[in-house]
Amino acid sequence: MNQTNNSCPNFSMRLETASVLVHKAIKAVNQKSIEKRSLIWLELTGCSGNIISLLDGADPDFKSLATQMVNLIYDNSLMVSEGEAAMERLFSVIGDDYILAVEGAVSTKDNGLYNIIGRRKGQPITAYEAIKVFGEKAASVIAVGTCASDGGISAARPNPAQCVGVQNLLNRKVIKLPGCPCHPDWFMGTLAYILLFGEPELDAKQRPLMFYSSLIHDICPRRPYFDQGIFASKLGEKGCMFKLGCRGPVTRVDCSIRKWNGRVNWPIGDDSPCIGCAMFGFPDKMEPFISYGTT
Amino acid sequence: MRVVLNPVTRISGFMEIDAAIDNSIVTDARTQGMLFRGFEKMLVGRSPFDAVYFTQRICGICSTAHSVASTLALENAMGIVVSQQGRYLRDIIHGCEFLQNHIRHFYQYTAPDFIKLPEGKTLFETDHNDFRLPKQKNDQIVRHYFDSLEYSRSAHEMLAILGGKAPHNHGVFIGGITTQATPEKIEQLCSLLQNIRQFICNKMIPDAYAIADYYKEYFEIGRGYGNLLSFGCFNGYEKLGTLYVDPLTYSNGNILPLNSEEITENIHSAWYIAKSETYTPFQTIPEPDVKKSDAYSWVKAPRYRGFPFEVGPLARMWLCGEYRNGISTMDRTLARVLEAKKITDILLTLLNNLMPGISVQEEYEIPQSAYGAGLIDTTRGALGHWIKIEDSVISSYQIITPSAWNLSSRSQDDLPGPGEEAMIGTIINNTDSPVELGRIIRSFDPCVSCATHVYSEGNLIKTIQVMP
Repeated sequence: MNQTNNSCPNFSMRLETASVLVHKAIKAVNQKSIEKRSLIWLELTGCSGNIISLLDGADPDFKSLATQMVNLIYDNSLMVSEGEAAMERLFSVIGDDYILAVEGAVSTKDNGLYNIIGRRKGQPITAYEAIKVFGEKAASVIAVGTCASDGGISAARPNPAQCVGVQNLLNRKVIKLPGCPCHPDWFMGTLAYILLFGEPELDAKQRPLMFYSSLIHDICPRRPYFDQGIFASKLGEKGCMFKLGCRGPVTRVDCSIRKWNGRVNWPIGDDSPCIGCAMFGFPDKMEPFISYGTT
Repeated sequence: MRVVLNPVTRISGFMEIDAAIDNSIVTDARTQGMLFRGFEKMLVGRSPFDAVYFTQRICGICSTAHSVASTLALENAMGIVVSQQGRYLRDIIHGCEFLQNHIRHFYQYTAPDFIKLPEGKTLFETDHNDFRLPKQKNDQIVRHYFDSLEYSRSAHEMLAILGGKAPHNHGVFIGGITTQATPEKIEQLCSLLQNIRQFICNKMIPDAYAIADYYKEYFEIGRGYGNLLSFGCFNGYEKLGTLYVDPLTYSNGNILPLNSEEITENIHSAWYIAKSETYTPFQTIPEPDVKKSDAYSWVKAPRYRGFPFEVGPLARMWLCGEYRNGISTMDRTLARVLEAKKITDILLTLLNNLMPGISVQEEYEIPQSAYGAGLIDTTRGALGHWIKIEDSVISSYQIITPSAWNLSSRSQDDLPGPGEEAMIGTIINNTDSPVELGRIIRSFDPCVSCATHVYSEGNLIKTIQVMP
């Protein structure tokens, strides 16, 4: 049940989307037919797992992103510079053209004091302030992961830090790439598309259709089990995991064909249910994650 | 004078270092987390089973650690004894996270403190000029900085083969893991592991020693207390015995077995209130109180027998007897890369003992009322989860992370936390770019995402100022 449904040319072509776009973008930058633009990556209230996921991207990989496709100006996890010098580099983009990628939700409690991302001229910069300053002025804003897209687990009840998604604080279009974490292909492909052609086609929730157009359940390799009423009663059984609480029937993203980490596996391939981590309302609306005998 | 460093980049999460410097010597230092999320509060009322996937979202670089600790706490609460095959499978997933983490920590987080990355890229620009390696050697490590991406990625690929995906795996669960090993998966894992091992042995370890050669004073800098603690990991297998380290502590030259009953947390200097300033993990979950006077941090103070203890790869390598060169900034880094090799040995042993086709899953029932603890050494050190279940939902959840031990605040005795202690006494060559502080604190591999702290308005007014 781990094989890709690669009999369908549509599926196999979709797996190439990100790679084709990125290589095209790098070629265009090298040939100077498009400009090499600046990218800022802000980590806000979250686990910083989306930048780690980005490092897991294989084709294209992080090196080609950071050295060939864009000028990566700022990221807390990877920045060599530290302290105020790092913050000065971040603020140096104000007034210039740049694309903003954000991971993590924005904590709004007590004016954002629950998340300070650095200090500039001695003054603390809250995540709340940073998203206002850099979000309004960016050429494009990409919310990377479920926390940035919709609050995610950082906003789980009782939402102790009063977290919200980036969109709640910005009067502008925010492209959303929910997923916990965001798959490296989703981000790389979207960024390359923006560089080459501008904004990709989005659905009503501003998710790029090239990655978010199909329901997991519709192209799940275990769908035949569902259709025949064969259900797993515990983890590890070969059967549809609907009765273990699988959220594949409501989750709109392409994990079932794209898979993770060099395409070696994915949650359902690992004999565990989809927990709807790419859905708006995750986690509160997607729980319980695992239950036995769901009806 | 006072030096404030924020953000401390190349760590996971947000942190500030606040150091008092007199005659170029650090006379006091404080470490503060800059991010609050409140997972312990969020978990109350949820299904106990959900803790496994939920708590992973505390941390993007060490999510597996939380899945393992929460699973152990649940198994303890439910009285479930895990089969040896279940343990092997789970520990293989956990070991892959060590490899991913250590490779990234050495090349992406630590190395840029000592080697100069390519010019003309804002991300790689530096604030100081203390780069001592000959150009050829420097540039070789720069190449490995980029080559390493393939191997840390491979470690996550291994993790996903058994765990579904990474970060935030689906495999680790009550009973062991959700899926089964197959001959094909075992073969794939062994093949990836051999490549990672070669990189660690032929590139990463020599690179760490090359850096150590040119920065010898860092064997004297950043010692700290020299109190070491481990909850144990890859240990106590029925057939294989202990492959790495048992629960042990080291202080004043003595290695003793760990008694987990002697673990406490203290909130004397942290913005929390509770019936008692010191409590054991099951006793109480303190409530935040930003108005508490005399507090300076939201980092609580985990203590063992009342004392601060350092946790992490150096503690483990020291306690198991494989590394006894010393306790310092550079020793932490060397112990980490040597541990990476050790982990590949352990993974090979576990893989060789895997039996394909064994399902370790049952249909589990949530107990009406129970409590349990999950204590395990993870990438960054000792991690504990303590769960209480009432009416079949989580009624209390306590998490003490490795970074809470290493970045802890002070109790009534005013003893600095291990990270703070390691910085105190250091000579700062140039207070405009105090590169020493970052080097010392990064050797602990801080994960502030994990420490889930708060930052208060009452503590914000600190800029660089000269003390009389």
